Amino acid sequence: MFSRYRLAILPLLFFPTAIFAQQNHISGLILDKKTNEPLTGATILLVDTKTGTTSDQKGNFTLSVKSLPAKLLISFLGYKPYELKIFEYSKSLNIYLTEEGNNLNEVVVVGYGTQNKREFTGSIASVKGDDIKDAPIQSFEQALQGKSAGVSISLPTGVLNAPPVVRIRGINSISLSSYPLVVVDGIPVFTGNISSTHASNNPLSDINPSDIESIDILKDAASTAIYGSRASAGVILITTKQGKLGHITTSYDAWIGISNAVRIPEVLNAQQYTDIKNEAIANRNAIAGRTDPNAFALSYHPDGSVVDTKWRDYIYRTAVSHNHTTSISGGTDKVNYYFSANYSNQEGFLIGNELTRKSLRFNLDNKVTSWLKIGGGGNYSVNSNKSFDTGSMPGESMTTTGLTRLALVLPPNVSPYNADGSFNVNPSSNGTLGKGNNTANIPLYNPVSLFALTSNNSENSHFNGNFYVAIKPVKQLELKSTYAVDRLNQEDYTYGSPDLGSDSYSTQGSATNISYLRQNESWSNTIRFDSNIGNNHNLSFLVGSDLEKITLSSWGAKATIASDNFFKYYQGGWGSITAIGNGLGERDFLSIFSRISYNYKNKYYLTGNLRRDGNSALAVGSKYGNFGGISGGWLLSEESFFLKSALKDKFSNVKLTASWGRVGNGTLSNDYSSYNLYSASLYGSAATWGITQQGNPNLSWETSDQTNFGLSFSTLKNRLNVGITYFNNDVNNLIMNTPQSPSKGIPNNTILANVGSLYNRGVELSLDSKIVESDNFSWDVSYNFTYLKNIVTALAGGNDIIGATGSGNTNITRVGASIGSLYGLKTLYVNPDNGQRVFLNAAGEKVQYNGISTWTYLDGRTAAALTGTDYYVLGNTLPKWSGGLNSNLKYKRFELGLNFTYAGGNYVMNRTRSTLTDQIFFNSSTAILSRWTTAGQLTDIPRLVNGDRISFGGSVPISDQVEKGDFLRLQNVTLAYNLPNKLLNSAGISAVRVYGQINNAWLFTKYTGVDPEVSANGNSNTSPGVEYNTAGLGRTWTLGINVKF
Amino acid sequence: MKKRFKTSLVVLTAGWIGLLSIASCKDLLNTTSEISISSTSIFETPARISGLVNGVYKSLKNSSLYSGGLLHCNDLRGEEFICLTENSLGGGYAWQQNLSSTTDIVNSIWAQSYQVINNSNILIAGLSQSQGVISDSINKNYIGEARFLRALAYFTLVTTYARPYAENNGASKGVPLRLKPESTSANNDLATSEVKAIYSQIINDLDTAEIFLPEKYSTALLNTTRAHKSTAIALKTRVYLSKNDFVNVRKEAQKIVAQNQAPFSATSGILHKLQDNIAVVFSSDYTTVESIFSIPMTASDPPSGTALVTVYNSAPNYALNNISGILSNTEWKSTDARRTFVRTQSGLYYLTKYAKVSPAIDYIPVIRYAEVLLNYAEAEARGGDINKAIALLQAVRHRSDASYTFSPTSLTQSEIVNTIRIERRIELLGEGFRATDLLRDLLTFPNKPSRSSYISRVVSPTDNGYVYPLPTSEILTNKLLLN
Repeated sequence: MFSRYRLAILPLLFFPTAIFAQQNHISGLILDKKTNEPLTGATILLVDTKTGTTSDQKGNFTLSVKSLPAKLLISFLGYKPYELKIFEYSKSLNIYLTEEGNNLNEVVVVGYGTQNKREFTGSIASVKGDDIKDAPIQSFEQALQGKSAGVSISLPTGVLNAPPVVRIRGINSISLSSYPLVVVDGIPVFTGNISSTHASNNPLSDINPSDIESIDILKDAASTAIYGSRASAGVILITTKQGKLGHITTSYDAWIGISNAVRIPEVLNAQQYTDIKNEAIANRNAIAGRTDPNAFALSYHPDGSVVDTKWRDYIYRTAVSHNHTTSISGGTDKVNYYFSANYSNQEGFLIGNELTRKSLRFNLDNKVTSWLKIGGGGNYSVNSNKSFDTGSMPGESMTTTGLTRLALVLPPNVSPYNADGSFNVNPSSNGTLGKGNNTANIPLYNPVSLFALTSNNSENSHFNGNFYVAIKPVKQLELKSTYAVDRLNQEDYTYGSPDLGSDSYSTQGSATNISYLRQNESWSNTIRFDSNIGNNHNLSFLVGSDLEKITLSSWGAKATIASDNFFKYYQGGWGSITAIGNGLGERDFLSIFSRISYNYKNKYYLTGNLRRDGNSALAVGSKYGNFGGISGGWLLSEESFFLKSALKDKFSNVKLTASWGRVGNGTLSNDYSSYNLYSASLYGSAATWGITQQGNPNLSWETSDQTNFGLSFSTLKNRLNVGITYFNNDVNNLIMNTPQSPSKGIPNNTILANVGSLYNRGVELSLDSKIVESDNFSWDVSYNFTYLKNIVTALAGGNDIIGATGSGNTNITRVGASIGSLYGLKTLYVNPDNGQRVFLNAAGEKVQYNGISTWTYLDGRTAAALTGTDYYVLGNTLPKWSGGLNSNLKYKRFELGLNFTYAGGNYVMNRTRSTLTDQIFFNSSTAILSRWTTAGQLTDIPRLVNGDRISFGGSVPISDQVEKGDFLRLQNVTLAYNLPNKLLNSAGISAVRVYGQINNAWLFTKYTGVDPEVSANGNSNTSPGVEYNTAGLGRTWTLGINVKF
Repeated sequence: MKKRFKTSLVVLTAGWIGLLSIASCKDLLNTTSEISISSTSIFETPARISGLVNGVYKSLKNSSLYSGGLLHCNDLRGEEFICLTENSLGGGYAWQQNLSSTTDIVNSIWAQSYQVINNSNILIAGLSQSQGVISDSINKNYIGEARFLRALAYFTLVTTYARPYAENNGASKGVPLRLKPESTSANNDLATSEVKAIYSQIINDLDTAEIFLPEKYSTALLNTTRAHKSTAIALKTRVYLSKNDFVNVRKEAQKIVAQNQAPFSATSGILHKLQDNIAVVFSSDYTTVESIFSIPMTASDPPSGTALVTVYNSAPNYALNNISGILSNTEWKSTDARRTFVRTQSGLYYLTKYAKVSPAIDYIPVIRYAEVLLNYAEAEARGGDINKAIALLQAVRHRSDASYTFSPTSLTQSEIVNTIRIERRIELLGEGFRATDLLRDLLTFPNKPSRSSYISRVVSPTDNGYVYPLPTSEILTNKLLLN
């Protein structure tokens, strides 16, 4: 498409010089209406004489016009043609072009190539890099929330660089990852949290979001099949920026932001705490006939004032972040280039949480001759993640150092510091927080001493690059060979001081270094053939091979017993050193693939994809699998019957698509999963061998059969574009850890096997509308909606899979229910007669618990204690509906953008509420003040009984904490102003845009926890939808500037 | 021009197709681990087989078993400790007598014991088809060790999860009896065998082990950390005592307590005997002849999980019960050397039997000669020679408190049995005997005071929580378990 177009305008390029000398001419500037940026290479045609010109690098043009009035037609690829009449000669015409929405000629990136939207018959969502580059984020996928139908993205916590939970059309696996394959400029990259420390490290944050040209999300199997065995969770294709013809642009983009935590629960003050906790002891005495004394008492400062510590003030802060990118890009008809440098320094709202990124990118393409093209690019980045234990990453909900929990539960009647300014720590319990005048030791650490005495750091040095050679021996044929490498060198450092107050006190200090070298190399070769046979048959054909080698080598050591508290690094003086974090693995993929696209008269489209994939991690004999898909499209609106009918005036671009495909998932976490493996260890000082993995010699792929039906059309004179899609993913042969009877003594009591199946079915709707469109005022609104139904249809032996949060079983994956449903004891109400919580046992009978191990029926008869067998399924965790609404308003030089996201139909377990009412020394939320105290009182908080871990859900999940997760969030609001060009041009600046934005500006929900989207278990498939001492999402205020030279 | 292109087209296309076919033909996908060995080559060399044997011991050293978990859970169920904290998850449930089928330790002690059993079974099966990689005598030795370890694991299971033998002579349901290695998804379902059957398998294994095992090894370290003949015999005294078979306790004990009076040492094989100073056994020399079987600890192989020194001493979650525990027993005199295993701080008493921290390299005792003497004494007291019982008891007491004199009037049969019980509580404090000692005689678990919001309760033999419940993980996967 490109080349045909350029050829057409070539004669025009030479024409103007001939007439330049004449007097009567008009000149002006061609600008993008949305971004206010100059457009290079737009055609300005004088309709009467068929003469014309093109705009130069700064968007300027001059055109000779012999007589007035004259009619001008301005056209530019991807923009709507613009026609205007000129009545006077002028030198300062400003002509704004509007991008064509849902243009069928728009190019989308598909596997190993591009297609235009007209011929694309699968299901894709595309997001432009410009839409995300200004967001105050760590990695690009965080900014995709609510942008596309069928693509669900939620942040599990506000901790910096925690990987978002990305789900394309639901959860498509149980044991393996449901995270989509992310391909950057042709190479699959590492995803997920790779850190071994408390500091989260998402390697996707090594990519500067400003470097991204486009993000294309392949959703159905017919589109993803060319990625075969790793495509069942969808594929995200990232294309980084390339220079553009004739357009040398230097830009500077920067923002500075502050963020705060929001919705932190209110807790009791020292007096309330002391009273409430002693009341619980008195109640226990009354019930059990005991005489335990009060165990909680106020402490006093030396001046006699009461110690009343607001712990959250010591843990949360107002964080400041800033980000800067400079880029230079441009090109001639031979060479184009893009260069950028980025520095980002971001602080989290929890003290000590910090991310720093420095990156450089260079992309270069050179058309050496008419038949040879060579190019490549690379990104190098250095990334540092620092954090204390935030308590919000998976597995951290119940740690003794988790900051979010400490902020809630530490006793307010204990001071962080002693009178002499030293840390208040308890020498007789390994340096945990001092107990003040309370009786029992506090097993949790003093955050203030942790800040001073510990550290966690995970650093990346990350190169991602590619090199290609493309040869076009004849016009229809392109041979391309691409080598790409993603090399990620990661160093993790953990340090704990030997001093009291550090969590490494018991080992007399510790310093751990682990080094990881991850490398993914791929070499792919493709042959591409495009042909028109006659004018009606268009055929394009792609065949290729791909060899990919992924290696991991990690090693490390943990040093303990510091010879002096001076040493903070492993390289210092230490008394004991043990190996830690060792790993060595290799996984190879070997594949051949092919795509055939055919269309007849540009009305009937057919695309087939095929991939034969080999994966070394699978069992001998089962390493290869065949994947493929077929899709068809019918451009109904091009049919003569349509064009003759009355529909023609109402609808255009009417397209029907259908596709079917089979893709796989073999992303086993272990490279050697099919083998029975024996590992070495020590027994004292004697060498040992012991079985550590029972393999399965028949282990094969998970397969996902995906069907997709789509309808898209434009209406209201192309002002409204509508897309409706139905999809059905049937996932079979799910690889799962099939539970073995523990009495068989098999390692971890599991063997991997292909058992189990599930489906995701749903409907996607997207609406794009241009409500108002005029020179000074425009308003675009886009809306998307996804309905999703997930049901598990088979599991190993029909057995449930239990998911845990902390030490409690909170989720269940059961045949017939949605994956990872909430699970726990069913509670009904608090008995007004005695303040006991009333539960429903497995037999459906009401039983009540007195707080100290006695269960009774409501009439007083003794009842059996409730156990795990009395758990009920308490609700689905996956939103049934979700989506987003984006509104862009433009008035003259002002822009107002609003981005809403919403989801619902799901339930969230607010386990933080159990923390906040737990009947141990934990501080409580102020909600506990409405506890039951007198007979007849109606309340939802039971009578307080010291040590009761059941009524309040302390050790068991209860349905009282299950809440609806429906929400509407104003994800982003942006107000921007484009400075007048006149002002800038004299300074050599072509455009300046300043903006302010608020992220997570407003949340409407009835959910009482910190945020309905957070998850204590991150990316887990089987234990989603649980908030447990998890940090919420911050609110960020940003000021930014975009400058173009 | 055109010709050149056509030629290059042909060459390049051929080249590309060649690349494709190279890529698809050559099988690069048979990668194997460089840091683990596949089961096909694990029995290939003498060193690997020796490693497998040590590997079974290693599985016994797991955090749930003899790194400390089993010991402290057994001790905490008894009355010797008070709870100081509220976050002591595993041990806390045992201390509170609040174990359910979903409790971690209920599941992990079960699962880990069976891993010892399966590892033993893998070894026995592999060695029974010896290919001449090792000599027949070493082969026999290894099988003996595997059978000893299997017996110890089954004994742990049957005394933890099944009703005591004494209740009905072992007619209760025991645990599933698995004697073949398991390596596939088959055979999940297996009913329990009777307690009686488990005991006879244990004794069968130990009798075989006694025959197969060598009298001694080349070093004191091996003698303590690997099973030899008297290890099997010593364990038999414990097993027979657990089923109140006093005749056989005496018969087995006599093999290694050959002398008829103090110092009651063994006279053949390894000359097991009490050390003069008990402190030596726990602090300076872990491999004396008193330590019949102990789990070795080194800086590079310290306890996995929470070490006993942490639980009781260095960052204690539990202090000794100075109100109703053995610590408050007036017959445990201040002159007793075993009192040096107690330290006080802020009015609380802590057990210091395990004292080394960072790394916690105190060996964990599994069988000590002192226990054998007390097993022997009890068997004599309850079914034999009362004077012999007194003499054995005195040997243990006088080693640590030479000046102590038993009041002669109190030494009736029931009194002596009681005195032996007290002696066991003092001598074996913190070594994981309290729960099984109460259980085997159908005694009630008494209550004990607390220093935290955790409270305990009295558990009598009729209580549902008297023995560990069967774990959920087994109930869910083994459909015949509850049949």
